[in-house]
Amino acid sequence: MASNGASKKMKLGTEFMSEEEIEWEFGHHEAGVARLNNGAFGCCPGSVMEAQREWQMKNMRQPDKFYVEELKKGLVRSRSIIKELVNAEDVEEITLVDNVSTATAIVLQQVGWGFHEGRFKKGDVVVMLHYAYGAVKKSMEAYVGRAGGRVVEVRLEFPVRSEEDVIGEFRKALERGKSGGNRIRLAVIDHVTSMPSVVIPVKELVKMCRDEGVEQVFVDAAHAIGCTRVDVQEIGADFYTSNLHKWFFCPPSVAFLYARASSGMSRDLHHPVVSHQYGKGLAVESSWVGNRDYSAQLVIPAVMDFVNRFDGGIEGIRKRNHEIVVQMGEMLVQAWGTHLGTPPHMTSSMLMVALPSSLHITTDSDALKLRTRLRDHYGVEVPIFFTGLTAYARISRQVYNTVHDYYKLRDAINQLVQHSHHPMPCSSS
Amino acid sequence: MMEWLEKDLGEAAERVWEIGSSLVIYGKCLLSHHSYGEILAYQFASLTVPMSSTIIHHNGSHIAKKPKLSSFSSPSEIESEFSHHDAAVARINNGSFGCCPASILAAQRRWQLQYLRQPDHFYFNDLKTGILQSRTLIKDLVNADHVDEISIVDNATTAAAIVLQHTAWNFREGRFQKGDVVLMLHYAYGAVKKSMEAYVTRAGGNVVEVPLPFPVNSNDEIVSEFRKALERGKRNGNRVRLAVIDHVTSMPCVVIPVKELIQICREEGVDQVFVDAAHSIGCTDVDMKEIGADFYTSNLHKWFFCPPSIAFLYTRKNSKASASDLHHPVVSHEYGNGLAVESAWIGTRDYSAQLVVPDVVEFVNRFEGGIEGIKKRNHEVVVEMGEMLAKAWGTRLGTPAHMCASMVMVGLPACLGIESDSDALNLRTHLRDAFGVEVPIYYRPPREGEIGVITGYARISHQVYNKVDDYHKFRDAVNQLVQNGFTCSALSD
Repeated sequence: MASNGASKKMKLGTEFMSEEEIEWEFGHHEAGVARLNNGAFGCCPGSVMEAQREWQMKNMRQPDKFYVEELKKGLVRSRSIIKELVNAEDVEEITLVDNVSTATAIVLQQVGWGFHEGRFKKGDVVVMLHYAYGAVKKSMEAYVGRAGGRVVEVRLEFPVRSEEDVIGEFRKALERGKSGGNRIRLAVIDHVTSMPSVVIPVKELVKMCRDEGVEQVFVDAAHAIGCTRVDVQEIGADFYTSNLHKWFFCPPSVAFLYARASSGMSRDLHHPVVSHQYGKGLAVESSWVGNRDYSAQLVIPAVMDFVNRFDGGIEGIRKRNHEIVVQMGEMLVQAWGTHLGTPPHMTSSMLMVALPSSLHITTDSDALKLRTRLRDHYGVEVPIFFTGLTAYARISRQVYNTVHDYYKLRDAINQLVQHSHHPMPCSSS
Repeated sequence: MMEWLEKDLGEAAERVWEIGSSLVIYGKCLLSHHSYGEILAYQFASLTVPMSSTIIHHNGSHIAKKPKLSSFSSPSEIESEFSHHDAAVARINNGSFGCCPASILAAQRRWQLQYLRQPDHFYFNDLKTGILQSRTLIKDLVNADHVDEISIVDNATTAAAIVLQHTAWNFREGRFQKGDVVLMLHYAYGAVKKSMEAYVTRAGGNVVEVPLPFPVNSNDEIVSEFRKALERGKRNGNRVRLAVIDHVTSMPCVVIPVKELIQICREEGVDQVFVDAAHSIGCTDVDMKEIGADFYTSNLHKWFFCPPSIAFLYTRKNSKASASDLHHPVVSHEYGNGLAVESAWIGTRDYSAQLVVPDVVEFVNRFEGGIEGIKKRNHEVVVEMGEMLAKAWGTRLGTPAHMCASMVMVGLPACLGIESDSDALNLRTHLRDAFGVEVPIYYRPPREGEIGVITGYARISHQVYNKVDDYHKFRDAVNQLVQNGFTCSALSD
């Protein structure tokens, strides 16, 4: 049996994974929970968890030997697979890190040094989306704002009607950034925003950045591989990062950071945790950040084995996730009499479905309470987003979901709507 | 269903663990239709039942105990706890990667599974309390005043990045002047030296190194070099803003008189002191109030039986910089809520190694004298073994007994011809591959005028899993090399 991703021998006749086998792979998921929030923490199948154990035990058995003989090789192997998956030119362009938050710290630290060392002037601009992830906004504060840079946010309407809306607002933000003769040093663009979840037309926005003289473009694609199409040549950004534990079945946690070689930036990027590998290039620095458990970064061959047991591999999984989540979203819209937050072509494996207004959600805290109530009383795990006017549920679809998960959500909300016609609205504590 | 599991998996579980093959589990699972989660849960139980008093159901805050038969772990129980170690290897390098007993690995698995089972629930209900529990236990272990002073991070290297980034901001934001000095020991760990380059030098600071003698005979030698370096640092009116002092240097391994050096720092107007104690809990005495540093970090996976990886960073309240001034370099939505809170959430990660500290406290209390007893015995035995080796080879120890902890530097016979760092590394590899001995070798270059000195030292360690045979194996390997007329030049290409 392979620890390093050789093909499994226990397929029972059919070429692709059966429903029974899928159920078995995710048998550790809590029974009775309609798990519709794959976007937050992802999932990891049993066979990949087992591969991870093997790596962990190999290390525990004789860690010096593991360090000298296994670790580097294993990491290069993982990086090579990622390079192929995302269509990068060279494996040197692919670095493995813990998560997108770490990749963000790496890119923004480098921007910070640009200000400190006088390459950037005080007041130079970094552009980001208003719906950028909370941690990214804080990273901007910590590294850009604190170093003297100015952060300009791209306003986005939600619900969103078309890609033109997004492109239009982005253009306006670039203009605001350049006003007063400032340079835009970096644009941080989500590939798929988190809350609310919208697929952003990154290719068009990156091109606009090049046309408008933006120096560097960083695509935060926390949700990408297995969720949207990822071709870094096509997208054309300088830096691109994605978590692999969200939609690519890796255990927590592993992400990759792509740094285009032709941008010439890779020697300027450093992992914030400095080891004896400092100065040897980001990929090498990141491959040793002190004594750690690197096993989540080593199982990527086992993950490839897993996804290739599905018709069409990861692309097939992605397509079916998208089709089904749209189907389920439309089913819920019908059942609740509401609407979707984006047109279907701007969604991925997640979808924003408006909740009935009779639930009386009027604050962010109401939204959180509803989420908790759904978890504790109805066995449904789904994140809720409040625009200030309307609440939306962000439903997801992954290979372990069944149609009953969505019926469970439908029925739970319907029940809550019924209760709301009697006393006990959501806004009570 | 459970009876079937017990019958077939009971025996297989241990073997599966050792071999690392998942074929046995997979084959049985497909035949039996048991879910993967159920198999794993049983696998852990079969490992832990003989050893620990914990049961598999883990509700996140308390682990129920079954009454133990005897007070302390027997030798065979200890052997069982470390049966996953490669039995063919004399493992005398605990200093590099540490060790983790099987019952702690099982506890870690329980946390991991609990998370994977329902991660949202885990995040909202279990994670914060689990981390706080670990921090509270560490605070007690190291005699800190307040749990706010204890942050948990991945390793001492991360802690160094946190402290030195803070130093870099002080330079950039004008609190420190260009040319102000940061002091460090010459034998500071390689990663710390690079961190100095990345954050201090790059931000405009001057790094001054304290040269240290080795072999060393007394604390006075170290103190006197430290004083001289402080003077060098203060020359030309520069301020010494930070002193980075190892508690136990890595290579060569020497216990540094930190308390004394910190007192000197205070007397001489050094702003802040950071003690890098990568080896400390379970290796040396660790008392924050006594030592008196502003910042102090130690790994817990080296000498405190935690799985890779976990370290704590202590930041003294009422110091010039507190935990609110320091930031974790990976920024999350918790930014600005204090270092401990920031470090408790740095994006989606596997935090399980940080959650098993309660289990580890239980584990060490199964030894006479707890962690103190383990520490004492490790020290006594490693000195004994060191002296045995030095006698067998006609060499010497690199430090006196009172300047070593659970590790000691033992001189290697000069005829082995260790003449460079790469000779030392090649010899280490040769010992691993040809003799089944894992031990790091240090090259000590001869000084001006020195002839016939020992140029190679082995850093041997002792931990609870070691046996006398491990050291005999090493002794005999070196004796054989000497007999065969081996020199390191035979290993270089």
